[in-house]
Amino acid sequence: MRPFSYTNAKNKEQALQTFTKTSHYLGGGTNLVDLMKEDVERPDQLIEVANLEYKNITKNNEGGYTLGGMLSNSETANHPDIRKNYPLLSMAMLSAATAQIRNMATNAGNLLQRTRCPYFFETSMPCNKREPGSGCGAKDGMNALHAIFGYSDKCIATHPSDMCVALAAMNAKVEVQKTDGSSRTIDFTDFHRLPGNQPEKDNTLEPGELITVIHLDEPKFSDHYYYLKIRERSSYAFALVSVAAGLQIKRGVITKAGLAMGGVAHKPWKFTKVEKYLEGKKPNKVNFKAAAEMAMQDAKPFEGNKYKVEMGKKAIVRALTQAFEREA
Amino acid sequence: MKSIKASGIGNPIDRIEGHLKVAGKAKYASEFPVENMVYAQGVNSTIAKGKITSIDTSEAEKQNGVLAVITYKNAEKLKNYPKDMTNFSLTTVAPVFQDRQVHYYGQYIACVVAETFEQAQYACRLIKVTYEEETPDIHLDKNRGKAYKPGESADFSRGDMDAGMREADVTLEQTYTTPIEHQQPMELHAAIVNWNDGKVKMYANQQILNQATTSISETFGIPKEDVQIITPYIGGGFGSKLNVYKHITMATMASKMIGRPVQITVTRHQMFTNTGMRQFDEQEMRLGAKKDGSLTALAHHTTSHTAKNLQYFEACGNVSKMLYKTPNNAVTHRLIPLNIQCPSSMRAPGEATGSFALESAMDELAWKLKMDPIDFRIKNDTQVDMGADKPFSSRLLIECLRIGADKFGWENRKMQPGTNKKGNWLIGYGVSAASRRAPYMKTSAKVVLELNEAAVNANIKMDATDIGTGTYTIVAQTVSEYLGIPVENVKVEIGDSEFPVTPGSGGSWGAASYCNGARKACENAIAKLKKKQNITESEEIEVAELLQQNNLTTFEAEGTAEPSEEYKKHSVFSFGANFTEVWVDKDTGMYRIKRMVNVGSAGKILNPKTAYGQIIGGLTMGAGMVIAERTQVEPNYGNFITRTLADYHVPVNLDMANIDVVFLPEDDKIANEMGVKGIGELGITSVAASIANAIFNATGKRMRDLPITPEKLIEAGLEPGVA
Ligand SMILES: Cc1cc2nc3c(=O)[nH]c(=O)nc-3n(C[C@H](O)[C@H](O)[C@H](O)COP(=O)(O)OP(=O)(O)OC[C@H]3O[C@@H](n4cnc5c(N)ncnc54)[C@H](O)[C@@H]3O)c2cc1C
Ligand code: SF4
Repeated sequence: MRPFSYTNAKNKEQALQTFTKTSHYLGGGTNLVDLMKEDVERPDQLIEVANLEYKNITKNNEGGYTLGGMLSNSETANHPDIRKNYPLLSMAMLSAATAQIRNMATNAGNLLQRTRCPYFFETSMPCNKREPGSGCGAKDGMNALHAIFGYSDKCIATHPSDMCVALAAMNAKVEVQKTDGSSRTIDFTDFHRLPGNQPEKDNTLEPGELITVIHLDEPKFSDHYYYLKIRERSSYAFALVSVAAGLQIKRGVITKAGLAMGGVAHKPWKFTKVEKYLEGKKPNKVNFKAAAEMAMQDAKPFEGNKYKVEMGKKAIVRALTQAFEREA
Repeated sequence: MKSIKASGIGNPIDRIEGHLKVAGKAKYASEFPVENMVYAQGVNSTIAKGKITSIDTSEAEKQNGVLAVITYKNAEKLKNYPKDMTNFSLTTVAPVFQDRQVHYYGQYIACVVAETFEQAQYACRLIKVTYEEETPDIHLDKNRGKAYKPGESADFSRGDMDAGMREADVTLEQTYTTPIEHQQPMELHAAIVNWNDGKVKMYANQQILNQATTSISETFGIPKEDVQIITPYIGGGFGSKLNVYKHITMATMASKMIGRPVQITVTRHQMFTNTGMRQFDEQEMRLGAKKDGSLTALAHHTTSHTAKNLQYFEACGNVSKMLYKTPNNAVTHRLIPLNIQCPSSMRAPGEATGSFALESAMDELAWKLKMDPIDFRIKNDTQVDMGADKPFSSRLLIECLRIGADKFGWENRKMQPGTNKKGNWLIGYGVSAASRRAPYMKTSAKVVLELNEAAVNANIKMDATDIGTGTYTIVAQTVSEYLGIPVENVKVEIGDSEFPVTPGSGGSWGAASYCNGARKACENAIAKLKKKQNITESEEIEVAELLQQNNLTTFEAEGTAEPSEEYKKHSVFSFGANFTEVWVDKDTGMYRIKRMVNVGSAGKILNPKTAYGQIIGGLTMGAGMVIAERTQVEPNYGNFITRTLADYHVPVNLDMANIDVVFLPEDDKIANEMGVKGIGELGITSVAASIANAIFNATGKRMRDLPITPEKLIEAGLEPGVA
């Protein structure tokens, strides 16, 4: 590692005031510290925020719950209120990484984890995300793990989080504090961004903005939900393709659908059009298959990741079926 | 004499060093407290082929704590590889920084020595290198024209292959491919080296000490006697710690240069680029059989790659020379030199990959013949190794298959693929036959007896190593057995090159060799003590009494065991059979290995507990070959894009099945006096085929390219069909 200074922030004010352009907030460190060891991230200062007060799960006034940004992934996923009201979120979070990593990882850090693109991790390779202008090694190289939706000429990476796929299928908002003391709330769908001409930017946060809490709206998918994660081994592997599916079913008709896919784009890929399509329909194979076709029709795979189109369709049908068939 | 046998051989006692390991008290190579020690760290090339044009170390040298930066400019002259492609053997030298040439991505180009590990690591990042880059040879396909035959032993033929194919009623021609894989033991390669007055002493996790000292002494041009390696515990090797790698040379050179002990720990990333690997293998199989199932022809042609300046080849085809009765047989191996590090031995080199091709092909042919794959194998059994033209010392393959079938419930298998379903699952059963040479080599040991009241304590010394397999325990049990003393009274001292010479741990020869060496030392001790008192050899007498009669409180003896003439006249192998039940998700391509049964005939089982451990480990590695183990090479730059254990996927607990291990009783005194045969590598052999065959039985899809990932199954189209 390169030398850096370390500040253990006592409160949010200290964290925000200490922040400089070359600082990084430190959550559980499970992603940031790895990247520092790889010489990919080179902060001059780490500001530990994992000990700040945002470690609770509370009811909010939209009929939903608010998650502390500094609460661990394990505590969040295993919290009785989350398991009861947002089992889709819980299921997605528990499919990630390992128990040890989930114990360390914070909710804020999870949102901000960086891509697993192997070129991004290897400093001797070209990568526009790591070093803007150096080129994208993956595009003409190894791209089995890369995007099929929404990529640009500059970057075809995917966002690796499982938690975020569930959050995209639900409705969530991220609250952040700015260094000037003000705060703002960002719709989850606007939180991550597509690479466009600036692949170095994963999300819409401004420098120094500190994630404090995540707001979830009123629970809708507590009866019919499924998180399907297709991966190369049974645990401790990132998704090749994953699907978060939530259904609200009343009298045999879908009244609300949530559907998002992981492992296919620079951000958790929410199928808004397909969600709308499913609403008002009967939960059956025919409609699920049609939904899957509709979802994948704009996919543009590369040489190495053609499999994702078929895999994606199968995964959608399966996840919706499992969500529907689940005994409430 | 053998009155106390409770802890002797054959008993499933706990590992005698187990507690030390669990309590963190067992010292591994990098953990020895050495005064005045400094840290070295290697810097790797970031091109695969070319020449270093400049290397600027000034910034690194300025840093706090940095003591030296070694590059080709200031490195001492070492013995280099011979000019012609030399075989990468256990005694091959390990030169480093001898010129500006870069032959593969990640080759060491510099080494920083500093007071602390962190200082060394940081300074490494400040070294600036420029290269004159050349286009590397990376692709097998683009370089096929360069394929060559690596020596006479690479090819074999018997009978007339083409005639055999013409004679066949049913034939099969298929190609199987297996990827680059890495050994990646948990313990990183590491050494603490002290060069003192022309002599070098090191703590280093080498599997075979007597060969490693040769390599080091030749690299530095010093007498072998002046090199000492100590390594009481090794945290896994899987072949990667057989050879001496360049980090040893870097640390030795650094210690000599600055006159202090130097610690070096290879990083996990460098464990991909600098400590060996299994190469990519492409295996073309041609098989022919009569309607009744008798094989008429079997050919096994392997193409793989080697380094540009060093040759290693994995003899994938050897299994096809000996496993079945085949009147017509052809085996070839070809190598293509590429700008990728030299491959090396990994987890049953040759057998693990070769048996995937052969045992998949046998399954395919059985299916074409509409024959049960077990019957097909039994039909072609042979008690003679037709490749070596020698009888097997013992071979219980048919028994392994039959008993395994029984245990596994093979009769419930549906012959027709895709017909055994449960919900979203397609269920399949697979079988494969396994064989692994059971080598046995000359081994010496020294035993020191001490009489303490009426009890005898024994101390046994040999330069053996314990790479996690249980050497300490089985050697202690052997001494207990042959001296007739409790195992608690035996102290085993291994892992020091100054102790009597053994062949070390590798190739599944450790257990047989170590234990026979220990046996011989004990037998010699007793024989000498009897002789002094004119006691006939056959008389039973406690060793304590013998010492008393001799008026001795202490006595020592050495012994050397080695293969007999009979051994040389036979082919000595362990055999086994693997059975696997696999559940494949019909939509997602994910699958679960539900059950595995492994039946082995591996000679005398010294300790069922450690023996089971070997097989369970082998099955897990075999499953790893199928599930996800694969190192991918970047096609444009030639680096491995698989660079950590987060992306080099080995099986997790949930991937593994219920495992049932059975050893058949076997008494093979030709193998060696104790009848011990190798187990470790038998465990991995043909496991991959049994899983792939089960996937075929489940889905009707024949997967010939490892690993078998969900991507590939989806691409194969999973709707059940028939191949
Ligand atoms: C081997 C391995 C396997 C994994 N497998 C999976 C998987 O299968 N699925 C999955 O979803 N994830 C997986 N992960 C990723 C893991 O979920 C993330 O590393 C983790 O969630 C990051 O959280 P953290 O608190 O440790 O973040 P850190 O590493 O501490 O920080 C990550 C980033 O967020 C910033 N940051 C942290 N907190 C804040 C804040 N409050 N406000 C603003 N910025 C902040 C940091 O500056 C940094 O840039 C895996 C990780 C590893 C190492
Ligand atoms: S896909 Fe993105 S992260 Fe990967 S190499 Fe290209 S620019 Fe870098």
